Amino acid sequence: MSTLSRTPARKSFKGLTFRQRTYVVAVILLIPALALRVFTAFYPFVQTAYLSLHRFNPAFDGATGPVFVGLGNFQRIANDPVVRASIGFTLTFVVVATFLQITLGLAVAHLLDAPFRFRGLSRTLVLVPWAIPMVIVALGFRWMFDDQFGMIPDLLRHVGLEMKWLINPTNAKIAVISVAVWKSTPFVALVLLAGLQGISQDLYEAARVDGANWFTSLRYITIPMVMPIIITTSMFMVVWQLAVFDLPFLMTGGGPGFSTTVIAQKIYLESNSLNYGYAASIGMVLVAIVAIVGAIGLYLFRRFDVSE
Amino acid sequence: MTTSAVIPSREQAAPSTSGFVQRYAQTILVYVCFAIFVVIVCAPFYFVFVSSIMPSTELFEMPPRYWPSTPTLDSYARMIDSVPFFTYYRNSLIFATGSSALSVVAASMAAYALARIKFPGSNIVYLALILSVALPQIAVLVPMFETLKTFKMISTHHGLIILMSSLVLPYTIMTLVSFIKQVPAEVEEAAYIDGATTWQIILRVVLPLIRPALFTMFLINFIISWNELLYPLVFAHNVDTKTLSVGLTELTDPGSTYTKPWDMMSALSILMIIPVLMIILLGQRLIIAGLSRGAIK
Repeated sequence: MSTLSRTPARKSFKGLTFRQRTYVVAVILLIPALALRVFTAFYPFVQTAYLSLHRFNPAFDGATGPVFVGLGNFQRIANDPVVRASIGFTLTFVVVATFLQITLGLAVAHLLDAPFRFRGLSRTLVLVPWAIPMVIVALGFRWMFDDQFGMIPDLLRHVGLEMKWLINPTNAKIAVISVAVWKSTPFVALVLLAGLQGISQDLYEAARVDGANWFTSLRYITIPMVMPIIITTSMFMVVWQLAVFDLPFLMTGGGPGFSTTVIAQKIYLESNSLNYGYAASIGMVLVAIVAIVGAIGLYLFRRFDVSE
Repeated sequence: MTTSAVIPSREQAAPSTSGFVQRYAQTILVYVCFAIFVVIVCAPFYFVFVSSIMPSTELFEMPPRYWPSTPTLDSYARMIDSVPFFTYYRNSLIFATGSSALSVVAASMAAYALARIKFPGSNIVYLALILSVALPQIAVLVPMFETLKTFKMISTHHGLIILMSSLVLPYTIMTLVSFIKQVPAEVEEAAYIDGATTWQIILRVVLPLIRPALFTMFLINFIISWNELLYPLVFAHNVDTKTLSVGLTELTDPGSTYTKPWDMMSALSILMIIPVLMIILLGQRLIIAGLSRGAIK
């Protein structure tokens, strides 16, 4: 039997106890991940917080560097109609899209779980919207929603719906949200499917014996059982979609007017105009919104988990 | 009493006449739902494909055509002439492969430490890594740009790869932690008793056991990186680093609907989708397992 002390690693850390040696291993293993996150998330975040309190436009303030303006940027945000409109649309987008993604996702998950011949095929197909690049989805739908040459207005015309899509503010919002639902419902469905598969069939059998119909089973078995997953997934979708950028940016360019401009696009525009300080402060507002929503989600999740 | 497709009934009720009718109705309902599902999922893909093989004169017809009179690959040829398509394709491959490889390596190391080694503050490190996923990439864009400029990493492959792999890192760590926790600790303990060092345990015991999980995360991160727009758009300024997603937006710029070359855009889109479709066709099972793992845990 080989003894533990004969192994090379032991010799190289001779002075350390076993426990200390494992700590060294843990630190070494964590270094690459932490370095990446510090470099691209934590450090830039601190810098953003700093910049948000400064006026900094390299074109004008290049010589002096950032000029401290206190909460000046945030005052400007409060009076900026575009920022306010973008916060409004972002929140509408996130709430409506997430609600529809979860609801439809639960329905699609049931289809994927149903025993029928094309179950395997349906599970491959469900990956398609998730896997197709958002760039292509956004531009493709822009083309399909085109008022003159697009297929969607044409198909709707056949069923008697004469609608202009991307040049009407309300309809443009609806269009952008529907595309987000098309793109991300499958992902939600897959996660919920895993939840459905975790529910014991005995529960449904017992309920059926007791005379439950599909609706009562759904209401009193399925939904309560997958509730923790619904909460986690909603939280994830909300937080992720609060930062949505490419879809509205490419599909409508934020228009008509500013009706589909999201916070992220406003940040992008301000950075492109070199208003670095102002862009950073809008970034901080976005982070604050994400933090508040995330905290609410965590609270809901914990409360639900305890009651289980 | 109505049972329906909504209840996933794997065992059918005892056979009876009404049960038979019911089951029949249920099957039809499932197939109808499936048909609607197929149409909704595939329609956009179909329209983009048709636009790509349509002669450009027929593309701008009113009402729109749903199938070209004479399918042509003409728009593919013109697209390859107007953007450096093959260079962008190569860049996308480097970007996606590099990002997913780096993220899986860094994440698997961290995930092992977080899942198996109890050290002071491990929970805090885990939370910090996971919660940082909520930090919107666009909110910290400006300082990121300045930092990259300082390190001379703008318009470089390694700069883009570092950014992208870091973006997918939290999710990858979370998924891999849950995979590693599934591996029974007894296996490692046995190896340890046999005299293996920690490094040997990681490389010879744990790594082979979680190889499917690593492969899964590699595929998922490859697709996510392949599809990424924002980072290449902001941090890649030359032909040698721009990716296909940027190439697609370059085709659209600038102008109104009339001047947008939808035919060439569709052609590029189709060629950009092909590798992704191949991955999901071949790795369907793995990807589904990997995607749902993160949220369930």
